[in-house]
Amino acid sequence: MTMDDNQFTFDKITSDLTHHIRINKGFLIWMGFLTVSLMVCLYAYSIQLRTGLGVAGIRDYVTWGMYLANFVFFVAASLIGMLISAVLGLIGMKWLTPITRIAETIAVAFAAVAGLVIVSDMGRPERLVYVFLYGRPQSPILWDVTVITTYLVLSLLLLFLPLIADMAIIHRKVDRLPSWLKPIYKVLSLNFTDNPQQNKIINRAIRTLLILLIPAALSIHTVTSWLFAVTSRAGWDSTVFGPYFVSGAFVAGSAAVIIAMFFFRKNYKLQNYLTDLHFNNMGKVLATVSLVYLYFNINEFLVPGYKLKRADAVHLHELFAGKDTLLFWVVQIGGLILPILFMLFHRFRKPLPIMLISVAVLIAAWFKRYIIVIPTQEHPFLPIQHVPQNFVHYSPTLIETMITIAPFILVLIIITLISKFFPVIPLHETAREKGIEHFKFD
Amino acid sequence: MRFINLFIILYVCSIGMTVSAQTWVVPDDQKTVVAPFLFTPEMQKQGEQIYLKNCQSCHGLMGKDNWAKLTPPPGDLSKELAQKQPDGELFYRITVGKAPMPEFRNILSEDERWWVIAYMRSYNPKYIQPNPATKASFAGRIVTLDMKYDDLGKKVVVTANEELKDGQSVHAAGVEVALFVKRFFGKLQVGELKTTNDKGLAIFEFPADLPGNKEGYVEVSAMVNDPKNIMKTTGAIATLAIGKPTDMPSLTEGRAWWATRGKAPVWIILTYTLSVIIVWGFIFYIVYSILKIRKVKKINL
Repeated sequence: MTMDDNQFTFDKITSDLTHHIRINKGFLIWMGFLTVSLMVCLYAYSIQLRTGLGVAGIRDYVTWGMYLANFVFFVAASLIGMLISAVLGLIGMKWLTPITRIAETIAVAFAAVAGLVIVSDMGRPERLVYVFLYGRPQSPILWDVTVITTYLVLSLLLLFLPLIADMAIIHRKVDRLPSWLKPIYKVLSLNFTDNPQQNKIINRAIRTLLILLIPAALSIHTVTSWLFAVTSRAGWDSTVFGPYFVSGAFVAGSAAVIIAMFFFRKNYKLQNYLTDLHFNNMGKVLATVSLVYLYFNINEFLVPGYKLKRADAVHLHELFAGKDTLLFWVVQIGGLILPILFMLFHRFRKPLPIMLISVAVLIAAWFKRYIIVIPTQEHPFLPIQHVPQNFVHYSPTLIETMITIAPFILVLIIITLISKFFPVIPLHETAREKGIEHFKFD
Repeated sequence: MRFINLFIILYVCSIGMTVSAQTWVVPDDQKTVVAPFLFTPEMQKQGEQIYLKNCQSCHGLMGKDNWAKLTPPPGDLSKELAQKQPDGELFYRITVGKAPMPEFRNILSEDERWWVIAYMRSYNPKYIQPNPATKASFAGRIVTLDMKYDDLGKKVVVTANEELKDGQSVHAAGVEVALFVKRFFGKLQVGELKTTNDKGLAIFEFPADLPGNKEGYVEVSAMVNDPKNIMKTTGAIATLAIGKPTDMPSLTEGRAWWATRGKAPVWIILTYTLSVIIVWGFIFYIVYSILKIRKVKKINL
């Protein structure tokens, strides 16, 4: 299916990368399905809002339940924008070009929704504003709110800047756009004419953003890990929690990008742009970050396991051979060790196998957060006497599950909308790389 | 027929068990217990303070029916269900508790528990207090302690006096006395137990390095050791400038990680503020330069 570079003309690239920008039946059905699902979940949330957090399974022991596991997962998944665009991009890996926008879209969607996920854990969400009004600069909560907001804005700008040129091309060259869309593209394209001065401004802004993005992204997940690591609870009381979370985030994010690549390639017919090479390389990226994550996992369990301080002993026993054993080993072996072994082989880095591996990795990544957040709370340092069973054994309720699913639907809606109305693959940049230096902007 | 009989028996049993599991029986001899004093408005006020601290979180505010949603329901104590019970029954329930109601035996003194009842009764206009219990005249020794500090010998001298049946006061020999100083939590015993001599004296060496407050004051108390409860005793308590003056600033007085916002360490405020200003400075610069993209075209055309 691959084509030589000289077979790509400007018109062909434009048509290939923009032909999906239209409202068709499939899109309407998909969006309708998402909207109805979201409404059902929002109804569940309205029950929680009216009756309070008691409708969820969280009790006096496990106060951070699925909502917090979900929050950690969303922050984690959003980190991929930084790995792909900033770290690998600044190194100068050219093959990344068609993947950058997918990564940024995922980053924006997950970062935007992460803030909402944390609100789902609040019994009085209207008090969120108090964090800004009365937040203590000593508190990781204030840092978390600050860095997530910052990261979201940086990611939005990074998504928008390369789009300026694309929108200039679309509103001039693509005729079959819905009439109401054209003026929007025109405004957003900011009179871009591929003028060297304009390109200079954009390139410089992108470079600045990429550099800022690295500390900001490291901060959001490190600070999220500190929300746990600054307590002395077994399983959280760890000095490697920052890098442990960050490397885990890259695993989840890379898997999400591969899954998205697979579906965009198939549905938007991008086989000539998202080739086997890209899946192969992303497979290598996923394998590499998984190995790093495995390394931190060994640190996280071997060192406390060697010392076996009393609370750690209880915690590790529950994970290795107690109540949470099944989940723990399925996640560690099925979501980390087996995928790494598979990904060592070239044949498993082809689009379909690597997508299936990524699905397994992503699901395991969610449950990994569950394992990090919940089990340790079920055996607190100071147990209360004569507590009901539902304090000791956390079991999520149906309403809680629906409220946990809602953010995923929101993410899908955001990704669908962005990918439907903008080129999934950077148009202007791709054309340049294929040797088409200047467009005719008339 | 047999089946029906069996069914009825099982049914009655199950109801009986359910009811017995939910009722809270107060022993008959406890129901008749009455307060040792007449309730006064002062006591009701004290009782209100104790109620707000210890009871209100579950039982809610009196007469407002805003008790916590628990099983079994705690109920509003100004209402009939609570008010129809005699004082002794209320006192028993407060004293021993029954999960989820805590026992207050070791949390509130007997007097304090009666004050809470006095406060509860102030919401019942029909309540008439039964005559207070009078204690039978006491047959054992009645001992009162007195305490002095001997500056020269650095000693605390405790004198025990005994009240005889005819009202005469004499030195009490052979009384075991313990000396304490007050600390943050509870009391610290100073030295060992001492038995008073013929002159009714028990003399304690007082350590010179015991930390006191800023001025060196410590609260010293002497108590009779009477585990069999055969005496009626009154201890002595005094605040004396015999400790080592110690100035221990509170952990929340200065700037610290754990302090309030106004007392955040300066370096944290600076780091946080500078990071935000720098990063957002760049963001605003980028937004500004994006706006410039529009103008470039106008210049060129």
